[in-house]
Formats: sequence, structure tokens, C-alpha cells
Amino acid sequence: MGIGVILLELISPLLELLAPLMPGDTFPIFFKLKMAQRSLLAAIIATIVAGFLGTFLIMKNQALMGDGLAHVSFGGVAVGIILGATSPLWYALLFAIIASICINELQTREILTGDASIAIFLTGTLALGLVLLKVAEGDSSQFQPLAQIHSYLFGDLLVMPEDGLDLIVLVSIISLLILAIMRNAILATTIDPLAARIQGIPVRRVELLFGIVTAAVVVSMVKVVGALLVTALLVTPAATARQISSSFRSSLILTQIIGFISVIGGLYIASEINSAAGSTIALVTAVIFGIVVMTKSIYNVAVKKTEN
Amino acid sequence: MASNIEISPPQDKHGEQNLDKKTSPIALEVSNLSVVRSGKVIIHDINLKMKSGEFVGIVGPNGSGKSTLVLSILGFLKPQTGEIEIYGNAPLSKTLNGRIGWVSQAASNLPKEVTITVEELVMLGTVNSSNMLFWPNSDRKKRVKEAIEKVGLKEHSTTDVSKLSGGQRQRAAIAKALASNAEFIFLDEPLVGVDRKTRNSLLKLLDDLCHNENKTILMISHDLTAMRQTAHRIIYLEEEIKYDGPSSEFPNFAELAAIRGIQQVHDANIVIKESDGVI
Repeated sequence: MGIGVILLELISPLLELLAPLMPGDTFPIFFKLKMAQRSLLAAIIATIVAGFLGTFLIMKNQALMGDGLAHVSFGGVAVGIILGATSPLWYALLFAIIASICINELQTREILTGDASIAIFLTGTLALGLVLLKVAEGDSSQFQPLAQIHSYLFGDLLVMPEDGLDLIVLVSIISLLILAIMRNAILATTIDPLAARIQGIPVRRVELLFGIVTAAVVVSMVKVVGALLVTALLVTPAATARQISSSFRSSLILTQIIGFISVIGGLYIASEINSAAGSTIALVTAVIFGIVVMTKSIYNVAVKKTEN
Repeated sequence: MASNIEISPPQDKHGEQNLDKKTSPIALEVSNLSVVRSGKVIIHDINLKMKSGEFVGIVGPNGSGKSTLVLSILGFLKPQTGEIEIYGNAPLSKTLNGRIGWVSQAASNLPKEVTITVEELVMLGTVNSSNMLFWPNSDRKKRVKEAIEKVGLKEHSTTDVSKLSGGQRQRAAIAKALASNAEFIFLDEPLVGVDRKTRNSLLKLLDDLCHNENKTILMISHDLTAMRQTAHRIIYLEEEIKYDGPSSEFPNFAELAAIRGIQQVHDANIVIKESDGVI
């Protein structure tokens, strides 16, 4: 029994207690059925860690890093499937970590800017994955890896096996611990790398560790929202929070609140209108962003008018 | 002219300072330093000594190698030849951690994606290799509070840095360096983009730090008048050190032109505005 399953055993009674209070016809299932509880827990945990990581990514101006690594991990999944791996996500993890280290190196050595190096790895590994899958498929009607890959592109939250939950919970807890402990070092490095180095912070090692954590978190999220939509959970709540926060601490807290509302709201809507869970969650994060930005602009205009 | 600045004239300080200087330990020693980048000589054969408690201003036109010199001293640029010692150690040595503060041009110019309060920013100045895994303890919190008070941002400690004025952001950046307990503070153009009043109050702050807190300060600036008023010593850099001496004896513009090998002060290649002393 892995750590995810143990955690679920612990909170399962609480979820069952909440089930009668939940609205909708289908939505309460997430609190009643073990299988659906796994999906709910995976989604919530992934959102928490994505929110923390996203706040840092936004500050580092690396919002696309998540997207890039998600595509890289797709390439890894493809290789894993072709090699007949039972858990292709481990291949995705390996690919994403290597890509993250390479992107980091290209940037620190000033060979390429951030966006360009991410773009190259994104398209390169995605292409590798697609080519390999097509070749492996050949003429066989039995082996259809392209069909298998679908769930990794768009997410398959509702089918959350125990080992999938274990991976997400394990990666999330370790990543959260690292981010919490290294918080100040990462922030100091982000704001002024030279000053941080002078203070004695091992800037390169901090950057490297941050890159590895990003890779691991992205891969663990691929199963929840899919490679194409990782950015939604990673960046959108943090970007929304930034619009209305005035300190680093408040942006962290607001990101968590917005992320939580998105997940619960997204799952509710998905179960009631029978849409895909991952994309509905992603849609909700975008809608919340839109509402916040519009409300803020209206508020600013109103304040200006009263000032005049 | 910013003659209304309320700081003691540097000549007087020199008198007082001379007594200490005999006993003051060497803070910085640069010998035969040359830096070549992409085949171009940026600085050549620099020899420079600074004592603890000294305030030295580096002036010179754009591209004269001021930033290159400071980045080499800090250890971020590899020199072709020469030796650098800060408190007897090579740049970036572990023993120097926390003893040096760096206020870069970027420090007050945070990326707009960053949301951070003055207090949170200054707290980052206290992070070092031995405490980076721990949450700030009471000593670090005290240092942060003191640094913010010293630079006069007490009322703004919970304000988002991006909402501050240019001068206030510069103060926040200086507070960050102070919170690290640095004895030796390097500043790169802290007076750029601030109005005259702010400029004078920043100079007053640096003057206080030097004389009341005994900080050693090495500051790059375009603002010659400011350096004349505040620094003990001015170094005029243009690939080589063309002048190094007390700020009171710094040459006037005609002499400076001669030192630089320029016949006419109004040569189109040099921008000298005598009105405000900005090179």
C-alpha cells in the first residue's frame, strides 16, 4: 500500500461524512465511492502543489516551463508505452527531469533565452513521441498506442488507479516540503541571482533543484489534467492571485483559494453536465481569471471616478 | 547645484578619517587587474586599495568599465590577469558570505511579475548558505526591522515594492543589503532615475552608513557632484584609472579633459554637463 492509498484511508471517512451535504446528482459520488474519492484527492493535492510552484514560476517569468515540460513528458510517456512499461509516467518523469536540467543549463550559460530553449524541447520531444508511436503502430490492429496516449494528452482524472494516486501524493508531498524549506532561497535567487550568490546562497544548485521539482510536479499532474492542460492549474490560479495580492504571502494564500475553488467547481460542473474533468477544471480557472481581471478593472475605474 | 545637501563636507571627514586610516584594515586590494571580453580590453591594469570605513566613488563615462570592474571584484567576471582580495579573501569565498552587500541596478528594478512587500524583500537579504533552510529567527527579524528603519521605510514595510517610488525602491534595495549585516556595500548607479530631493536623501543615508555605522562603500555613479560631496575618494575610470585621490582634489572639467586626452571640453564625443556635474 502506497502513501496515496494510506492518505485516502485517513480522509475517506471525512469525505463520506461530507457526501450528503454535496449538491448535484452525480457530484456526491466523488465523496462516496472509493474510486471517485481517489480522483478527488489526486485533483486537490495536485492543485495545492501546482499553486505553490506556479507562484514561483510566475515570479521567475517561466509560466511556459510547465507547458514545455508537460509536452516533454508526453514524449516520455510515448517511449514508455512502446517499451511496454506498465507505468509510462516514470519514463515521463525521467524525460522531464533531463529536459528541465538542460533548459536550465542553456539559460544559465546564456546559449538561449528561456522561451526559445523551452520551445525546442517542447516540440522536439513531442515530435519524437509522435514519430515513435506511429512507427510502432505500423500495420498492426492489435497494438494501438495512439489510443492509449489520449489520456495523457487530455487527462483521465476519473480513472485514477491506486499507483497513480500514490505517485501524485508522493511527488506532491516531497515537492511541497522542498518548496516550503527552500522558499526564501528560491525567492532570493529569483529576485537577484548575483546578490543571492554574494550572500552565499548556492544559486545554481537552488535553480537545479527547483527545475527538478518543477519536472516532477508537472509529470504528476499530467494524469490529472493532461499534458495539454497542465498550465491551467500551474499558472492560471497564481496569475489570478497576482492580480489582487500585495505581498508574496498573500499571493501564495490566494492562489490556494482560487485553485481549490477551480477544482471543486470544475469537478462539480463536469459531473453534472458530463464533460471531461480535466478540461472543465482548466476552463473554470480561466473563467475565474477573467472575472477577477474584469472586476479589478471596473473597480479601478470606479475608484478613479470617485477620486475625480 | 545640489549644494543644499545636509552632509558634512568631505574635506572635514578626511581629516577625521586620516587618523583611523592608519589602523583601519584593508578592505579591498586589487592588483594588475585586466579584463578582456570578446577580444576587447574593457579594463586594463587596475591597481586599487580600499580601507575599512572608506567611501569610494567610481566615476567615468558609459562603457568605461565601471560595472566590469565591480563585477570582477565581486567575482562574477573572470579577469585575464590580476589579483583581487576582499578582506584578504578571494571573491566569492565562503568566509565573505554576509560581509558583502550588493545593490545592483536591477535591485530596485524588480521584474513586474514579482509581488513582494518591503519586509519580505529585506528579509531575503538575511538568507545565506547556513540559514537558507530555516524560517527567519528573531535575530534575522530584528535585523530586517532595523534595516527598514535605518533607510526610513518603516511606514512602508508592508507595502508592495512595485507601488513605491523610485527612490523608495532604492532604499528598500539598500535595506536588503544592510539586513545581511554587510560591512562592505557595493552600489551600482543608485542615483539613476531619482529626483534631486530623493538623490540628496539617498546620499545622506549613504553618508550616515559610512560615518555612523562604519560601513565601507564602493559606489558607481555618473553623478560627479554627488560623489564630490559624499565620497572620501574618487576614482575616474576610463579603461584605466585616470584619477584616484581625495574627492576634494578631483580635477575640474578642463583638467579632466586634459587627463582624458581631449582637447576641447565641448567635444561632441563626451557629454559633460557642468551644470549638474553629470558625466
